[in-house]
Amino acid sequence: MADRIRDELMAMAVRLFDEGKIDHFLGYQKGTVKFKTAPLIARSREDLEGLWVEDYFAHNLALYLKEIKGKVGILVKGCDSRSLVSLIREGQLKREDLYVVGLPCPGQIDPGKVAGVATCEPEELEEITRSGPEVWVRFKAQEKRLPKALALLDKCLDCQYPQPLIFDSLLPGEYVAPVEKTRPAEDELRKKTGPEKWSFWSEQFQRCIRCYACRNVCPACFCPRCIVEENMPQWVSPLPTGGDNFVFHLMRMMHVAGTCTSCGECERVCPMGIPLRKLNNKMADDLRELYDFVAGVDLDKPLPFRTYRQEDADDFIK
Amino acid sequence: MEAKPEVGKKEKDWEPRILAFLCRWCSYAGADLTGSSRISYPPNVRILRVPCSGRVNPLFILKALRSGMDGVLVSGCHPGDCHYTAGNYNARRKFSVLSRLLEYVGIDPRRVQFSWVSASEGDKFAKVVSQVVAEVKALGPNELFRLPDLDKKLEGQEGPHL
Repeated sequence: MADRIRDELMAMAVRLFDEGKIDHFLGYQKGTVKFKTAPLIARSREDLEGLWVEDYFAHNLALYLKEIKGKVGILVKGCDSRSLVSLIREGQLKREDLYVVGLPCPGQIDPGKVAGVATCEPEELEEITRSGPEVWVRFKAQEKRLPKALALLDKCLDCQYPQPLIFDSLLPGEYVAPVEKTRPAEDELRKKTGPEKWSFWSEQFQRCIRCYACRNVCPACFCPRCIVEENMPQWVSPLPTGGDNFVFHLMRMMHVAGTCTSCGECERVCPMGIPLRKLNNKMADDLRELYDFVAGVDLDKPLPFRTYRQEDADDFIK
Repeated sequence: MEAKPEVGKKEKDWEPRILAFLCRWCSYAGADLTGSSRISYPPNVRILRVPCSGRVNPLFILKALRSGMDGVLVSGCHPGDCHYTAGNYNARRKFSVLSRLLEYVGIDPRRVQFSWVSASEGDKFAKVVSQVVAEVKALGPNELFRLPDLDKKLEGQEGPHL
């Protein structure tokens, strides 16, 4: 199946280059590590050689559009298409500059998680295949069958948009039925008391080394100059102290509110394993509850902080 | 949360410091009226005049808490009265989301408060301030952003970190 999709994608990309519809094509290639993919930025049809279709596409390719000029063809999953919508809505991208190739997504496999469940090192995994609602893994001459919940990326488990929301052409492929979700994300932390929440987050943020990987990988973080790098005045110290880490992460959340689609890239790239997606989900739930706004699904709806209603909640104001 | 930062200070001597962002058109004039009407209110607020409550960036609030302020009060014109038509409506959305986010990371919502005070509400301003001061006093000193890591080593040094 993957081969068929790859052939179709390749033919499509080659045709787009030949017809002069795109200057660049953004897709995936095999990574240098087994079961990892890397982004592929093709400048011509010759560069397309490594184009790859697999079941473990983690990257959100919308990120690279910030730096690529001209017409771009891009391969997107449902979640990535939301990033495109929100960036178009923010005025960061033009729809007419994009040729969007949609990939119906059955949920992406997380090799790290699979290795954890199979109790082996990620390097020892030999083969991961998908069959219906299950995933087969082969490692160290053993085979194991895992339910999907134990093999997919966490964000895929509550995915509501497995089909791309905007596209110019759609590849064949299966996708899982979307999860019905108007309810808030499952999060035990929300039920805890203030001091418990604080001790949880201060423990998390104290580990932050301020590498800014979360910011750099975030499609919604498009400020040309980030507040943490401003020094006249200096809002946040560059030292990774607990207090400044708090200010940095909370400010980043406020900046991406309304653009962030909870794609989970920040959490995936965090070298310290800080659960940043909890904050994203909280923000998304608040925006839905307060302003009936879901980021990246509607090209016409105004952004929550660019508009207001007279009857907005003000029960928290004296 | 064990170590009290106000070392050397007796607890009963502790008075909260509250930073108040007041909108130039309503709340600041309201605070002025409080004074000229000779209504007394706790001297714990440090007033910072801003052009509009919409000017108040969530960053200002976080920075104030980070710098050791025990509480923050943001006050602007009542809905519909904004000098710039919609500044306070836009601010309200930002603060709504911010205060929920602060609550989620465990910062007591009473540390960061919001109010609408018009230029004619001198008595309301005094009431709001007394209430905020009382609530923050009950919460105790802001130890939130002083986490027992590098901050400790930096204590006493000059710089923008504290």
